[in-house]
Amino acid sequence: MAALKRFALAYLRNPAAGLGLLLLIGIIAMALTADWFFPRDPLALAGRPLQWPGANPRFALGTDNSGRDIAAQIFHGARVSLLIGLVATSIAVVIGIVIGALAGYYGGVVDDVLMRLTEAFQTLPNFLLLLVLVSIFGSELTTVVVAIGVVSWPATARLTRAEFLSLRNREFVQACRGLGMGDGRIIFREILPNALPPVIVYASVVMAVAILLESALAFLRLSDPNVASWGNLIGLGRDVLRVQWYVSAIPGIAILVTVLAVSLVGQGLNDALNPRLKGR
Amino acid sequence: MEMNRRALLLTSAALAANVVAPEAAFAQEQPRRGGIMTVHFPTEQRILNPSLQASTGVYIVGGKIQEPLVDLDAAGNPAPCLAESWEATPDGKTITFKLRQGVTWHDGRPFTSADVQFTAMEMWKKILNYGTTLQLFLEAVDTPDAHTAIFRYSRPMPLNLLLRALPDLGYVSAKHIYEGTDIRQNPANTAPMGTGPFRFVQYERGQFIIADRNPNYWRNNMPYLDRVVWRVVSDRSAAAAQMESGQLLFSPFSALSIADFTRLGRDPRFEVTTRGNEGNARTNTLEFNFRNPILADIRVRRAIAHALDIPFFIENFLGPFAKVGTGPIPTTSPDFYPANMPQYPFNRAQANRMLDEAGHRRGAGGVRFNLRLNPAPWGEDIALWSTFIQQSLNEVGIRVEIVRLDAAGFLRTVYNDWNFDLATGWHQYRNDPAVSTTVWYRSGQPRGAPWTNQWGWTDAETDQVIDAAATELDTARRKALYADFVRRANTELPLWMPIEQIFVSVINRRLRNHSNTPRWASSSWHDLWLAS
Repeated sequence: MAALKRFALAYLRNPAAGLGLLLLIGIIAMALTADWFFPRDPLALAGRPLQWPGANPRFALGTDNSGRDIAAQIFHGARVSLLIGLVATSIAVVIGIVIGALAGYYGGVVDDVLMRLTEAFQTLPNFLLLLVLVSIFGSELTTVVVAIGVVSWPATARLTRAEFLSLRNREFVQACRGLGMGDGRIIFREILPNALPPVIVYASVVMAVAILLESALAFLRLSDPNVASWGNLIGLGRDVLRVQWYVSAIPGIAILVTVLAVSLVGQGLNDALNPRLKGR
Repeated sequence: MEMNRRALLLTSAALAANVVAPEAAFAQEQPRRGGIMTVHFPTEQRILNPSLQASTGVYIVGGKIQEPLVDLDAAGNPAPCLAESWEATPDGKTITFKLRQGVTWHDGRPFTSADVQFTAMEMWKKILNYGTTLQLFLEAVDTPDAHTAIFRYSRPMPLNLLLRALPDLGYVSAKHIYEGTDIRQNPANTAPMGTGPFRFVQYERGQFIIADRNPNYWRNNMPYLDRVVWRVVSDRSAAAAQMESGQLLFSPFSALSIADFTRLGRDPRFEVTTRGNEGNARTNTLEFNFRNPILADIRVRRAIAHALDIPFFIENFLGPFAKVGTGPIPTTSPDFYPANMPQYPFNRAQANRMLDEAGHRRGAGGVRFNLRLNPAPWGEDIALWSTFIQQSLNEVGIRVEIVRLDAAGFLRTVYNDWNFDLATGWHQYRNDPAVSTTVWYRSGQPRGAPWTNQWGWTDAETDQVIDAAATELDTARRKALYADFVRRANTELPLWMPIEQIFVSVINRRLRNHSNTPRWASSSWHDLWLAS
């Protein structure tokens, strides 16, 4: 309990981190209340297309060029963006940790093979790889999320490996070996918890990038058109950008705020979890 | 030349009524020589030779470099181009073209009947899309002398059909370039050579195409322009910006966004018009796959048609450039348009009732059944239309999942793999239903041929009417046969064409003599000039 309180205090010492947390809570609240505020299908035809925000009291944020309520899409889109962020990040972090941990712990040939694999992924621009995956496997939401996860793991793997390299010969690890613990248990029960803080901080970066990747896909009209995502709204608004710029601008702001919130929270976690930065 | 043509037009009272009025405003102006015409070119093409591929993306370039036997005049009637005159025997099986003399290819060799013979037999009959159907019964082209080509058919070919088809499907290529080569792989396919007013210079993939003035063009003192440059701009907003900055002078074939048509239409520097594209009407389709037993039920297809509020969609989404469609033959074709055909006006209650009667009761969440919809990836209107279909069918309990694919994937999935429930794209109508319309309904189309009947629907009566009309020489009887065809098509509803559109051109007002024929964007631009 005391540790938690210390953590909270360390986190909140940075006012930006506090702001980030507030924004993130706001976005989560939007996602949770979407059905309550906007019970209709957000993709349904709601009214005349391209009504400016405020022009019609029924549509606070106006309607897009398909006659859908933008506010409804923003609220329901928060779910999609958070879902994409969380799931894709989990996939990327799990793959990254497993590969990084094995490479860092065993070293030698295992390390060589896994790191060459990682480098192979890193040398490919991840957005191009994502485009290839989506054009092969289609643009269903599940496919898109998995594809984003699959292209985002290399940095996590390298980070984990670096941590494992510095931890694997520490006394407590030697002690575990001396006690006859299995490799699996040493890796996941003993070393990993110590290696985790920087990975958690980095995960916030992965999450922000994952949300941006989906938006970029949708901007190119390659994301799943059957879900109300912010990116889809931006992509749709591209055609009317010169006059009805709000169709793209409103979801753009939503993405900006979300990515900012996630990054600020990551920064706060970094400050709170990294003992060397204490009292900075 | 321009005055002669105008005088010629005015001699015919029937034609005079159709002469496009705005053109007259420039009539006194003296054409200015020189200048560079810059054209928006939105999609890369694998072929630029219109003898091999009939599509607007090819005509916009190849139509300036190569020429057809027959063109259309301002009133939409066949006009001489490479052929000076024509006549048919009473049995309709022999059609003789007298070719223009003194025409040379861009490499200096003379244009002769051997070129026509080669192009007709090797390209139109064997390779050209729609051409293969049109020339199916072409047996031989005789060349008694260098300037006479006699087309021999095994079944009657209506002269009117051939003359209306040739402006699109009658481009001639040089025999000496293609003979003895693999025609499909010939380098001239992307570096075309012709008899037209402009000579091909360079095609830089992804960037531009250049063609220069042909100094030896057969129309004296033409063309007026020094050069035509096509700039590859795939992004609609970027193209609109280039129109505004003057880097592009012409954006053809509805290539800008609908919002920009409205915006640029208010700008005095531009003319936004459907004029000059009347010969290229298109309808938005809704294609049904009969291999899905739900859609094989005619009650379901009719219910879907009744569920779509077309006037609402047009008023709110497409604006002034579209109108309610009534079937496969559009109103822009008065020679064939049949009135009072079966229609499916918006009626949601009836749609619901018909679906109930078909045995598809609403289940959990009010859903009757699920369908996949494959929209073609070209055209903003197709994207809006597919979303509107999804929204409208949702209201009657049909959940639609939109499946987005790139162009190649769309064509393969729908027309070759038949892996779809609903599909939507454009049907293009080219002056006569036999050119590119009846193939959407006639059974027995080769698998994989895009924009043809790949629905798994066969109807002996429809096939019979289509075949009879294609060889009927009497104009009135032909029109009556096509009315039967539309009645049958609208009754059986293998696909539905509820929206009619004409391509929109955005034109810088510095251009003169533009939009003066029903296929101007595709035509040769020999009389186009640029005011300073």
